[in-house]
Amino acid sequence: MEELLEILCEIKEDVDFENCKTLIDDGILDSFDILQIISALDDEYDISIPASEIVPANFNSAEALLAMVKRLSDD
Amino acid sequence: MSYTSLIFWAFVCACILLYFLFPKAHRWWVLLAASWFFYGYSSLKYCYYILFTTVTTWGFALLLDRMAEQTKSEVKSHSEWGRPEKKAYKEKRKKLSGRMLLLYVILNIGILVFLKYYTAAMGGINSLLGEAHALPVMKLILPLGISFYTFQSVGYVIDVRNGLVRAEKNFAKVSLFVSFFPQIIQGPISFYDQLAGQLYEGHDFDWNRFVSGAELILWGLFKKMLIADRAVNAVHSISDRYSEFNGTSLTFALLMYALQLYVDFSAGIDISRGIAEIIGINMTENFHQPYFSTSINDYWRRWHISLGGWMKKYIFYPVAVLPVLTRASKSIGKSGFGKTRYGSNIAKTLAAAVGSLIVFIVVGIWHGSEARYFFFGLYNGLIIMISVLFKPFFEDINRWLHIPSESKGMYLFRMIRTFILVLIGYVFDIAPNMAGVRAFFVRMLTDQNVHIFMQQKRASVNLSMLDLQVILFGTLVVLVSSVIQETRKVTIREMLKTRPVIRWIILTSAIALIVIFGVYGPNFDSVQFVYAQY
Repeated sequence: MEELLEILCEIKEDVDFENCKTLIDDGILDSFDILQIISALDDEYDISIPASEIVPANFNSAEALLAMVKRLSDD
Repeated sequence: MSYTSLIFWAFVCACILLYFLFPKAHRWWVLLAASWFFYGYSSLKYCYYILFTTVTTWGFALLLDRMAEQTKSEVKSHSEWGRPEKKAYKEKRKKLSGRMLLLYVILNIGILVFLKYYTAAMGGINSLLGEAHALPVMKLILPLGISFYTFQSVGYVIDVRNGLVRAEKNFAKVSLFVSFFPQIIQGPISFYDQLAGQLYEGHDFDWNRFVSGAELILWGLFKKMLIADRAVNAVHSISDRYSEFNGTSLTFALLMYALQLYVDFSAGIDISRGIAEIIGINMTENFHQPYFSTSINDYWRRWHISLGGWMKKYIFYPVAVLPVLTRASKSIGKSGFGKTRYGSNIAKTLAAAVGSLIVFIVVGIWHGSEARYFFFGLYNGLIIMISVLFKPFFEDINRWLHIPSESKGMYLFRMIRTFILVLIGYVFDIAPNMAGVRAFFVRMLTDQNVHIFMQQKRASVNLSMLDLQVILFGTLVVLVSSVIQETRKVTIREMLKTRPVIRWIILTSAIALIVIFGVYGPNFDSVQFVYAQY
């Protein structure tokens, strides 16, 4: 989780990724941020996040992102 | 059946009454019957198109859902398979479901493309063949709401294929999702997981919701009947014969068009959302004070929000995560240029910029087959692309010029600049062809004369003094309400909930204004909503 939080904070410094659960629902992350997060996660975890995974449920919080990364790594 | 006709409102009242009289579990049947009746009444000759979309949507969604279930159970039943075997099997099945989805999309978007571009394509072919060898051209008419029900249906089937929602087995329920009457004319385009459950659930009558929905409908009728249907004649009387007018008249037509387009489109959506709200269904918002945007990107986040959401989910992201774009971004990032501030930003935003450009070209082409629509999309896409890719450069310019970018003055400047950029985009829409687009730009820049404009307005523009006064009054009301909503971040309806006296005064005044100054009646041929034939 620490590693993921570091990646996220590098992309958008002023967001409380540790506690926020509504990153998409409250419009904190826009589509440009999402693409940067995808690119960083692809590199860091050697996964490929397809467009079908880009849904609010996967991007609303750091936990949701981590769960998606784990699921895609296991696949 | 026009939204401003008595027969439409008699139909809506009957539908609402029957809905709440029916047993709760079967209330959705009333909505389905009403939707079929509405479609049949408005577009019976072309209802086989929507029937085809409904059947294929129901069938393909079920097929894709079943395939996904089979894949899961097959993987589960082969406990001897290792990770590579499982992965290979899943990949194989994913490819197969991808092909099925492609077939569905080709069938449905194919119909839309064929109906929209057939006439233009045949015109092009016949001009190449010459008059002597010209092929016969069929007269095709776009069925009511074809873009909106097609987009909504395609989104549902894609979501099923991606495992985001389960397929609905009941054909009648799928049919209701495709044809739900308040949104069939011009949207909003809803995602299946937002709308379907609400449609099938039986809602109880709620007085507060009824009043709130009625307010939204009144607001829509106010904008449509007082402003849009009065302004539209002035716009057409200039744009249809643009060569006879000077630059000031064309500028006037452009401003009137910006007003008419917004009030007309948002009015239709308000009426649709209001009817749905009375029933108990919350439909997605489609506008958020778009003319207060501070950038073109911001404008497209506030204008036709549901189309933007659809494009983002089904076109922008799939394009932006294409391996070719990811590779290009990474190679720029690793290069010497990519280590600079400008280069690093380009590497980070390239995929999003290209995705935006493609989306806007698609949106442009969707608006129509003429070249001007392609340029409309290209114009918007390029502005967004440049603003994103070269953001650090623009920030540097602001710094060098000591411009306080967070000041109120700059905020206002950005708003006015964006509105002008939006108006430039509208020229591609209002002018009848590319020659007209050129004429609009040239005259607006070189031929400004208020005196001649006044003469032309009196002699050739279909706009009486009463029209102008009502439009000005209506626009002022829309402007004040928009300013309040923008600055206080709450809707007027929410604010009025705690002020019952003011609320009823406003409601009664709105009804009186619509009855006295609204454009309607037996001699009035109500103007179709701008997006009704998309």
